[in-house]
Amino acid sequence: MTSKRITRRQTVAGMTAAAGALGLPMIGAAQGKVSPITIVVNQSPWFDSFRKTVEAYEKESGNKVELDVNPFAGSLEKQRNSVRAAKGQYDVLIMNSGWFAEMYFGGFVEALSDIDPGFKLDKDIFTLNDTVYFDPVKKTMTPSGKLMSMPISPLIPVLYYRGDLYKQTGLKAPDTFAELEDNAKKLNKPPRMYGIVQRGARGPATVSFDFYPYLYGFGGSLFKDQAAGDYTVTLNSELGRTALDYYIRLAKEAGHPKTAAMDQADLIQNMVTGKTAHVMMVISAWSQMDDPNKSAVVGKVDFAPTPHAPGHSTAPGLGHWLGGVARNVPDERKRGAVEFLRWYQTKAAQMVTAEAGGIPVSAAIYREPLAQEPRFRWMKAIAESLPHAVSTMNFPEASEVIPILELGLNQAIAGETNSVAALNSMADQIHAVMAKYKYNTGVLPKLK
Amino acid sequence: MRLSRWATFGPALLLMLVLGVLPLANLFYTSFHTVTWAAGKATFTPAGIGNYLALPADPLLRAGFFNTIVFAVGAVGGQMVLGFGLALLCSRVTRGRVLYRAVFILPILIPGIVIGAIWKLMLNFDFGLVNQITDLVGMDPRNWLGDRQTALASVIAVDIWHWTPFCFLLLLAGLESLPQDPYEAAKIDGASWWQELRYITLPLMAPAILVTFAFRLVIAFKVFDEIYLLTGGGPVTATEVLSFTLFQRLFTEDREGYGSAMAVAIIFLCSLLLVVAVSVGRRSERAA
Repeated sequence: MTSKRITRRQTVAGMTAAAGALGLPMIGAAQGKVSPITIVVNQSPWFDSFRKTVEAYEKESGNKVELDVNPFAGSLEKQRNSVRAAKGQYDVLIMNSGWFAEMYFGGFVEALSDIDPGFKLDKDIFTLNDTVYFDPVKKTMTPSGKLMSMPISPLIPVLYYRGDLYKQTGLKAPDTFAELEDNAKKLNKPPRMYGIVQRGARGPATVSFDFYPYLYGFGGSLFKDQAAGDYTVTLNSELGRTALDYYIRLAKEAGHPKTAAMDQADLIQNMVTGKTAHVMMVISAWSQMDDPNKSAVVGKVDFAPTPHAPGHSTAPGLGHWLGGVARNVPDERKRGAVEFLRWYQTKAAQMVTAEAGGIPVSAAIYREPLAQEPRFRWMKAIAESLPHAVSTMNFPEASEVIPILELGLNQAIAGETNSVAALNSMADQIHAVMAKYKYNTGVLPKLK
Repeated sequence: MRLSRWATFGPALLLMLVLGVLPLANLFYTSFHTVTWAAGKATFTPAGIGNYLALPADPLLRAGFFNTIVFAVGAVGGQMVLGFGLALLCSRVTRGRVLYRAVFILPILIPGIVIGAIWKLMLNFDFGLVNQITDLVGMDPRNWLGDRQTALASVIAVDIWHWTPFCFLLLLAGLESLPQDPYEAAKIDGASWWQELRYITLPLMAPAILVTFAFRLVIAFKVFDEIYLLTGGGPVTATEVLSFTLFQRLFTEDREGYGSAMAVAIIFLCSLLLVVAVSVGRRSERAA
């Protein structure tokens, strides 16, 4: 006698189908069977949570998802090779803030609303400075454009600080840059303990990413108004100088003696070994702080939005990841990709992400009781910061601008040039790039 | 007869053209264009010699050119001196050859990524072994890879550690194959160790030294992984090298036309330097 067993996947698929037939909302609301899809994604600290979320989707929907996991640079190369071919290998592209504009402008991803006119972004999903939208005519990213992608991981920097030392010394979490400077100086006892460790090294997007919260937090900017298509370079404004002078002063008076050589790994290392009181670092490193195998400061690190100048709001630069659907794949796979993204934005899916250590893209999760748990004490800072997050470069030539910032900022921090000369030089070079590609651009008079 | 010669030579020539010349020709062609991608298609816009004219003004390329020369000369010079010294010492060792050769060859066998990890940890400012050792003798800790004064020298030191065994093995093979008659004659004449080295060993070893030097020089000019893994070209441009600049311009920034022009210029430079090095070597060999 043979017994016919029903698998868990079949049960879930059956329940989904039944719920769909009855018009009932299912947990996660995964739709019916669709074509298998392939997602190209990078191996980042948040990848494990993404993988678990994808597994939950497969389990719930019965649909197949293949992940092609790569290092950061390798992921970009694979995406470029795929989208530039006649037939793409990847259905969903997990695009970084450094290259999603290249995919939008180049016409390599198809608007989600064009694949499925009924597709709507959930009201709780953070639009991350509206970078999920794109107007192909105006070449701008505003809600008046088409919905091009779904936020996958909303990475931004936050302030990590030693809550235990704050309690001992009676300090309160800094809101402004002046408060951060005061607190960092008070806790600065080098070489045993640095007041702050900043990420001042030159790299692919290293010191520039570290500098954005300072630049925008002081009210400065790289460009006048990207959303309106005005790419006048404003980096060398008085506000830009204030921000860079502050950054350098903080490094000199309360920072690591080798700030110009510090990369993200150094920041993490200094924090988990208890050698710094503050770092401003991307949120995806939070789990390492509480990992007893890696950290000497388990439970001692607290989180706050990056500080700002009075009259301005916190302004972390976006280093986020977006999921877009490749244009050069068959229609049925595009539909499969959209079904996955439709499910990904649900509260249930985002809860899986959060529980697995990822950073949710839905505001709904940050309102849940889970956000109050000590292990998720970073969530409050993220929820407060995300509405103010800044997408610094919404154009495909960003990859030519970033090296200019990396070199110029690193030179200023290393003391090879002063802040005024560095800002003027960077502004001129960025202006030359924007003019070369015929953007509506200009440059401010030179700082003196 | 002539037909049969072409029948055998022709396919080989065609294969060489396809595998060797065609990619270079494509690189050369691309270097005179600006490549843009729109609506899923590549557009090649003629740029004349614009990409080549822009090269001298590139601050990273200028720094990369200077640093590559310093790196190649410093690293290969160090490897040749050390490799030759070790080879001289070991050429007289008759026992345990297999063991010492296995130990010496180890750094060459280690993958580049592991070498990056080893030396990143060794040279770490806060807990690196090198600073712990210098601390024992009362020296202040140094940021070996992060200080402008020490970064390039540190990478050169790592490269010397990595590639000295290569020089050692080639030069040792050369030393072991030298004829013994001149040495026996020198001994009868009462020549000192230095005189043997100066007037017999070095002249006889000149071809082996030249080949090893040329091999290493070519490889040193192509240095990439050590820079990528240890310093990323920094601090500022202290360790920027040509291959790393090309990587950034062509791959990271996706500037195919400009990057191709840079690649062509680098190929030309490397070839020129190699020709100069070999001809200088041959001249000194003849003079010796």
